[in-house]
Amino acid sequence: MNKKEVLKLAKGFRGRAKNCIRIARERVEKALQYAYRDRRNKKRDMRSLWIQRINAGSRQHGVNYGNFVHGLMKENIQLNRKVLSELAMHEPYSFKALVDISKSSFPGNKKPTAPPKVGLQILV
Amino acid sequence: MATLSVCSSPSLTVSSLPQIKYTSISNSTSTNVASISQSLSSLKLTQMPSFVPKSTAQLAEPQTTVPEESQKPKGEEIFAVIMVGSRQYIVFPGRYIYTQRLKGANVNDKIVLNKVLLVGSKTKTWIGKPIVSNAVVHAVVEEQTLDKKVVVFKYKKKKNYRRNIGHRQPITRIRIVGITGYEDSPFATLP
Repeated sequence: MNKKEVLKLAKGFRGRAKNCIRIARERVEKALQYAYRDRRNKKRDMRSLWIQRINAGSRQHGVNYGNFVHGLMKENIQLNRKVLSELAMHEPYSFKALVDISKSSFPGNKKPTAPPKVGLQILV
Repeated sequence: MATLSVCSSPSLTVSSLPQIKYTSISNSTSTNVASISQSLSSLKLTQMPSFVPKSTAQLAEPQTTVPEESQKPKGEEIFAVIMVGSRQYIVFPGRYIYTQRLKGANVNDKIVLNKVLLVGSKTKTWIGKPIVSNAVVHAVVEEQTLDKKVVVFKYKKKKNYRRNIGHRQPITRIRIVGITGYEDSPFATLP
Protein backbone atom coordinates (compact mmCIF):
# COMPACT_ATOMS: atom_id res chain seq x y z
CA MET A 1 0.00 0.00 0.00
CA ASN A 2 1.27 3.44 -0.79
CA LYS A 3 1.72 6.25 1.67
CA LYS A 4 -1.49 8.03 0.75
CA GLU A 5 -3.66 4.98 1.26
CA VAL A 6 -2.01 4.14 4.56
CA LEU A 7 -2.52 7.62 5.96
CA LYS A 8 -6.10 7.60 4.79
CA LEU A 9 -6.73 4.40 6.69
CA ALA A 10 -4.88 5.80 9.72
CA LYS A 11 -7.35 8.66 10.18
CA GLY A 12 -8.51 8.85 13.78
CA PHE A 13 -5.61 6.85 15.18
CA ARG A 14 -3.94 8.13 18.32
CA GLY A 15 -0.66 9.97 18.66
CA ARG A 16 1.91 9.69 15.88
CA ALA A 17 0.12 6.70 14.39
CA LYS A 18 -2.01 9.05 12.35
CA ASN A 19 0.76 11.32 11.03
CA CYS A 20 4.07 9.51 10.77
CA ILE A 21 4.14 7.09 7.89
CA ARG A 22 6.42 4.51 9.51
CA ILE A 23 4.29 4.22 12.59
CA ALA A 24 1.06 4.62 10.68
CA ARG A 25 2.01 1.76 8.36
CA GLU A 26 2.70 -0.50 11.34
CA ARG A 27 -0.58 0.35 12.99
CA VAL A 28 -2.63 0.08 9.81
CA GLU A 29 -1.18 -3.32 9.01
CA LYS A 30 -1.93 -4.51 12.49
CA ALA A 31 -5.40 -3.06 12.30
CA LEU A 32 -6.10 -4.86 9.05
CA GLN A 33 -4.92 -8.11 10.60
CA TYR A 34 -7.30 -7.55 13.48
CA ALA A 35 -10.05 -6.79 11.00
CA TYR A 36 -9.38 -10.06 9.19
CA ARG A 37 -9.43 -12.00 12.45
CA ASP A 38 -12.46 -10.23 13.85
CA ARG A 39 -14.56 -10.84 10.76
CA ARG A 40 -14.31 -14.47 11.82
CA ASN A 41 -14.73 -13.76 15.52
CA LYS A 42 -17.77 -11.63 14.80
CA LYS A 43 -19.73 -14.74 13.87
CA ARG A 44 -19.06 -16.33 17.27
CA ASP A 45 -19.62 -13.10 19.16
CA MET A 46 -22.96 -12.50 17.51
CA ARG A 47 -24.05 -16.06 18.11
CA SER A 48 -23.28 -15.80 21.81
CA LEU A 49 -25.13 -12.48 21.94
CA TRP A 50 -28.18 -14.04 20.27
CA ILE A 51 -28.07 -16.91 22.74
CA GLN A 52 -28.05 -14.46 25.64
CA ARG A 53 -31.05 -12.68 24.20
CA ILE A 54 -32.95 -15.91 23.60
CA ASN A 55 -32.14 -17.01 27.13
CA ALA A 56 -33.48 -13.77 28.55
CA GLY A 57 -36.59 -14.04 26.42
CA SER A 58 -37.37 -17.66 27.16
CA ARG A 59 -36.74 -17.27 30.88
CA GLN A 60 -39.56 -14.74 30.96
CA HIS A 61 -41.78 -17.70 30.13
CA GLY A 62 -40.11 -20.00 32.63
CA VAL A 63 -37.83 -21.99 30.33
CA ASN A 64 -34.10 -21.72 30.13
CA TYR A 65 -32.26 -21.52 26.83
CA GLY A 66 -31.06 -25.11 26.74
CA ASN A 67 -34.45 -26.66 27.31
CA PHE A 68 -36.09 -24.22 24.94
CA VAL A 69 -33.75 -25.09 22.07
CA HIS A 70 -33.96 -28.79 22.93
CA GLY A 71 -37.72 -28.57 22.60
CA LEU A 72 -37.42 -26.82 19.25
CA MET A 73 -35.04 -29.51 18.01
CA LYS A 74 -37.47 -32.20 19.06
CA GLU A 75 -40.26 -30.46 17.18
CA ASN A 76 -37.94 -30.01 14.17
CA ILE A 77 -38.27 -26.24 14.16
CA GLN A 78 -35.20 -25.00 12.33
CA LEU A 79 -35.21 -21.30 13.13
CA ASN A 80 -31.69 -20.11 13.79
CA ARG A 81 -30.40 -18.14 16.75
CA LYS A 82 -30.45 -14.85 14.91
CA VAL A 83 -34.11 -15.10 13.99
CA LEU A 84 -35.10 -16.42 17.41
CA SER A 85 -33.44 -13.50 19.16
CA GLU A 86 -35.09 -11.01 16.82
CA LEU A 87 -38.45 -12.64 17.45
CA ALA A 88 -37.83 -12.50 21.19
CA MET A 89 -37.19 -8.76 20.94
CA HIS A 90 -39.72 -7.58 18.37
CA GLU A 91 -42.41 -10.28 18.18
CA PRO A 92 -42.89 -11.34 21.78
CA TYR A 93 -46.18 -13.13 21.15
CA SER A 94 -44.81 -15.23 18.32
CA PHE A 95 -41.85 -16.02 20.52
CA LYS A 96 -44.20 -17.10 23.28
CA ALA A 97 -45.93 -19.46 20.84
CA LEU A 98 -42.54 -21.00 20.12
CA VAL A 99 -41.83 -21.36 23.83
CA ASP A 100 -45.17 -23.06 24.31
CA ILE A 101 -44.46 -25.55 21.53
CA SER A 102 -41.05 -26.20 23.01
CA LYS A 103 -42.60 -26.77 26.41
CA SER A 104 -45.27 -29.15 25.17
CA SER A 105 -42.70 -31.23 23.32
CA PHE A 106 -40.80 -31.74 26.52
CA PRO A 107 -42.91 -33.47 29.20
CA GLY A 108 -40.47 -32.85 32.04
CA ASN A 109 -40.66 -29.15 31.39
CA LYS A 110 -44.41 -29.02 31.00
CA LYS A 111 -45.41 -29.76 34.58
CA PRO A 112 -44.76 -26.52 36.44
CA THR A 113 -46.68 -24.20 34.11
CA ALA A 114 -48.93 -26.71 32.38
CA PRO A 115 -52.45 -25.74 33.55
CA PRO A 116 -52.73 -22.23 32.07
CA LYS A 117 -51.18 -23.33 28.75
CA VAL A 118 -53.59 -26.17 27.99
CA GLY A 119 -55.88 -24.12 25.80
CA LEU A 120 -53.06 -22.93 23.59
CA GLN A 121 -51.38 -26.28 23.36
CA ILE A 122 -54.47 -27.92 21.93
CA LEU A 123 -54.48 -25.39 19.13
CA VAL A 124 -50.80 -25.87 18.54
CA MET B 1 -30.93 32.08 19.16
CA ALA B 2 -29.41 34.59 16.77
CA THR B 3 -32.81 35.08 15.24
CA LEU B 4 -34.22 35.72 18.67
CA SER B 5 -32.02 38.76 19.13
CA VAL B 6 -33.07 40.04 15.72
CA CYS B 7 -36.71 39.68 16.60
CA SER B 8 -36.38 41.39 19.92
CA SER B 9 -35.17 44.68 18.41
CA PRO B 10 -38.41 46.21 16.97
CA SER B 11 -40.64 46.52 20.00
CA LEU B 12 -41.64 45.12 23.34
CA THR B 13 -44.55 43.03 22.10
CA VAL B 14 -42.44 41.31 19.48
CA SER B 15 -39.75 40.44 21.95
CA SER B 16 -42.29 38.97 24.30
CA LEU B 17 -43.94 36.86 21.61
CA PRO B 18 -41.01 34.76 20.43
CA GLN B 19 -39.66 34.07 23.88
CA ILE B 20 -42.90 32.48 24.93
CA LYS B 21 -43.61 30.66 21.72
CA TYR B 22 -40.17 29.30 20.95
CA THR B 23 -40.33 27.21 24.03
CA SER B 24 -43.56 25.79 22.71
CA ILE B 25 -42.01 25.07 19.30
CA SER B 26 -39.56 22.62 20.72
CA ASN B 27 -42.30 20.35 22.03
CA SER B 28 -45.26 21.20 19.83
CA THR B 29 -46.95 20.12 16.62
CA SER B 30 -47.04 21.86 13.26
CA THR B 31 -50.33 23.56 14.02
CA ASN B 32 -48.61 25.66 16.63
CA VAL B 33 -45.85 26.49 14.19
CA ALA B 34 -48.38 27.58 11.60
CA SER B 35 -50.10 29.85 14.08
CA ILE B 36 -46.77 31.33 15.12
CA SER B 37 -45.69 31.94 11.57
CA GLN B 38 -48.99 33.67 10.90
CA SER B 39 -48.70 35.82 13.98
CA LEU B 40 -45.10 36.65 13.21
CA SER B 41 -45.76 37.41 9.55
CA SER B 42 -48.36 39.93 10.66
CA LEU B 43 -45.53 41.79 12.37
CA LYS B 44 -43.78 42.27 8.98
CA LEU B 45 -40.19 41.78 9.96
CA THR B 46 -37.68 41.64 7.14
CA GLN B 47 -35.69 38.80 8.62
CA MET B 48 -38.65 36.56 9.24
CA PRO B 49 -38.98 34.82 5.83
CA SER B 50 -35.46 33.47 6.06
CA PHE B 51 -36.19 32.00 9.45
CA VAL B 52 -39.74 30.69 9.34
CA PRO B 53 -39.28 28.09 6.61
CA LYS B 54 -36.32 26.67 8.49
CA SER B 55 -38.28 25.96 11.62
CA THR B 56 -41.19 24.47 9.71
CA ALA B 57 -38.85 22.25 7.73
CA GLN B 58 -37.16 20.97 10.84
CA LEU B 59 -40.45 20.09 12.38
CA ALA B 60 -41.94 18.75 9.19
CA GLU B 61 -39.19 16.21 8.66
CA PRO B 62 -39.98 13.93 11.58
CA GLN B 63 -43.67 14.26 10.86
CA THR B 64 -43.29 13.04 7.30
CA THR B 65 -41.19 10.08 8.35
CA VAL B 66 -43.61 8.89 10.99
CA PRO B 67 -46.49 8.15 8.61
CA GLU B 68 -44.16 6.17 6.32
CA GLU B 69 -43.21 3.90 9.15
CA SER B 70 -46.80 3.43 10.16
CA GLN B 71 -47.82 2.75 6.57
CA LYS B 72 -45.49 -0.19 6.13
CA PRO B 73 -47.06 -2.54 8.65
CA LYS B 74 -50.51 -1.18 7.81
CA GLY B 75 -50.95 -3.69 4.97
CA GLU B 76 -51.74 -6.67 7.13
CA GLU B 77 -49.01 -6.42 9.71
CA ILE B 78 -47.66 -9.73 8.61
CA PHE B 79 -44.14 -11.05 8.54
CA ALA B 80 -42.42 -14.25 7.56
CA VAL B 81 -39.14 -15.95 8.26
CA ILE B 82 -37.62 -17.20 5.03
CA MET B 83 -34.49 -19.10 4.19
CA VAL B 84 -32.46 -17.70 1.31
CA GLY B 85 -28.97 -18.87 0.57
CA SER B 86 -28.74 -20.80 3.84
CA ARG B 87 -29.49 -17.65 5.81
CA GLN B 88 -32.72 -16.79 7.50
CA TYR B 89 -34.39 -13.42 7.24
CA ILE B 90 -37.44 -11.87 8.84
CA VAL B 91 -39.25 -10.22 5.94
CA PHE B 92 -42.14 -7.78 5.71
CA PRO B 93 -44.07 -7.08 2.52
CA GLY B 94 -42.89 -3.86 0.92
CA ARG B 95 -39.40 -3.93 2.36
CA TYR B 96 -36.23 -5.13 0.71
CA ILE B 97 -33.46 -7.42 1.88
CA TYR B 98 -29.96 -8.09 0.65
CA THR B 99 -29.32 -11.75 0.06
CA GLN B 100 -26.50 -13.76 -1.34
CA ARG B 101 -26.26 -13.45 -5.09
CA LEU B 102 -29.12 -15.34 -6.70
CA LYS B 103 -27.47 -16.70 -9.80
CA GLY B 104 -29.39 -16.51 -13.05
CA ALA B 105 -31.92 -14.03 -11.73
CA ASN B 106 -32.33 -10.87 -13.74
CA VAL B 107 -33.48 -7.49 -12.54
CA ASN B 108 -37.28 -7.24 -12.27
CA ASP B 109 -37.64 -11.02 -12.22
CA LYS B 110 -40.38 -12.24 -9.97
CA ILE B 111 -39.16 -14.94 -7.67
CA VAL B 112 -40.98 -17.30 -5.37
CA LEU B 113 -39.42 -18.22 -2.07
CA ASN B 114 -40.99 -21.34 -0.63
CA LYS B 115 -38.72 -22.06 2.30
CA VAL B 116 -40.94 -20.28 4.80
CA LEU B 117 -40.10 -21.25 8.35
CA LEU B 118 -42.60 -19.07 10.16
CA VAL B 119 -45.41 -16.69 9.35
CA GLY B 120 -46.71 -14.24 11.91
CA SER B 121 -49.56 -11.78 11.96
CA LYS B 122 -50.97 -9.70 14.76
CA THR B 123 -53.22 -12.46 16.03
CA LYS B 124 -51.77 -15.71 14.72
CA THR B 125 -48.48 -17.46 14.22
CA TRP B 126 -47.88 -20.24 11.76
CA ILE B 127 -44.87 -22.23 12.90
CA GLY B 128 -43.28 -24.53 10.37
CA LYS B 129 -41.85 -27.89 11.35
CA PRO B 130 -39.55 -27.08 9.66
CA ILE B 131 -41.51 -25.40 6.85
CA VAL B 132 -44.98 -23.87 6.73
CA SER B 133 -46.65 -26.02 4.09
CA ASN B 134 -47.77 -24.19 0.92
CA ALA B 135 -46.65 -20.85 2.30
CA VAL B 136 -44.91 -18.76 -0.33
CA VAL B 137 -43.18 -15.41 -0.29
CA HIS B 138 -43.23 -13.45 -3.54
CA ALA B 139 -40.38 -11.11 -4.28
CA VAL B 140 -38.92 -9.05 -7.10
CA VAL B 141 -35.24 -8.86 -7.89
CA GLU B 142 -34.31 -5.20 -7.69
CA GLU B 143 -30.58 -5.14 -8.09
CA GLN B 144 -27.62 -7.42 -8.63
CA THR B 145 -24.73 -5.66 -6.96
CA LEU B 146 -21.57 -6.11 -5.00
CA ASP B 147 -21.29 -5.62 -1.29
CA LYS B 148 -18.90 -3.08 0.21
CA LYS B 149 -15.24 -3.73 -0.36
CA VAL B 150 -13.45 -5.75 2.25
CA VAL B 151 -9.68 -5.51 2.52
CA VAL B 152 -8.24 -8.97 3.06
CA PHE B 153 -4.81 -8.38 4.53
CA LYS B 154 -2.85 -11.46 5.51
CA TYR B 155 0.53 -11.22 7.14
CA LYS B 156 2.94 -13.69 8.69
CA LYS B 157 5.82 -12.32 10.67
CA LYS B 158 9.41 -13.30 9.84
CA LYS B 159 8.27 -15.31 6.82
CA ASN B 160 8.20 -12.49 4.30
CA TYR B 161 4.56 -13.20 3.61
CA ARG B 162 1.89 -10.63 3.03
CA ARG B 163 -1.22 -10.53 0.90
CA ASN B 164 -3.37 -7.50 0.29
CA ILE B 165 -6.50 -8.43 -1.61
CA GLY B 166 -9.77 -6.58 -2.03
CA HIS B 167 -12.99 -8.52 -2.05
CA ARG B 168 -16.52 -7.59 -2.94
CA GLN B 169 -19.15 -10.20 -2.24
CA PRO B 170 -21.81 -10.43 -4.94
CA ILE B 171 -25.24 -9.78 -3.46
CA THR B 172 -28.79 -9.37 -4.66
CA ARG B 173 -31.40 -6.96 -3.44
CA ILE B 174 -34.91 -8.35 -3.48
CA ARG B 175 -38.08 -6.56 -2.54
CA ILE B 176 -40.75 -8.58 -0.81
CA VAL B 177 -44.09 -8.25 -2.57
CA GLY B 178 -46.36 -10.53 -0.62
CA ILE B 179 -46.83 -13.56 1.56
CA THR B 180 -49.48 -16.10 0.58
CA GLY B 181 -50.61 -19.66 1.00
CA TYR B 182 -50.10 -20.01 4.71
CA GLU B 183 -53.73 -19.78 5.80
CA ASP B 184 -54.55 -23.49 5.68
CA SER B 185 -51.70 -24.59 7.91
CA PRO B 186 -52.16 -25.11 11.62
CA PHE B 187 -51.44 -22.01 13.67
CA ALA B 188 -51.16 -20.75 17.20
CA THR B 189 -53.39 -17.90 18.25
CA LEU B 190 -51.86 -15.10 20.23
CA PRO B 191 -53.36 -13.16 23.11
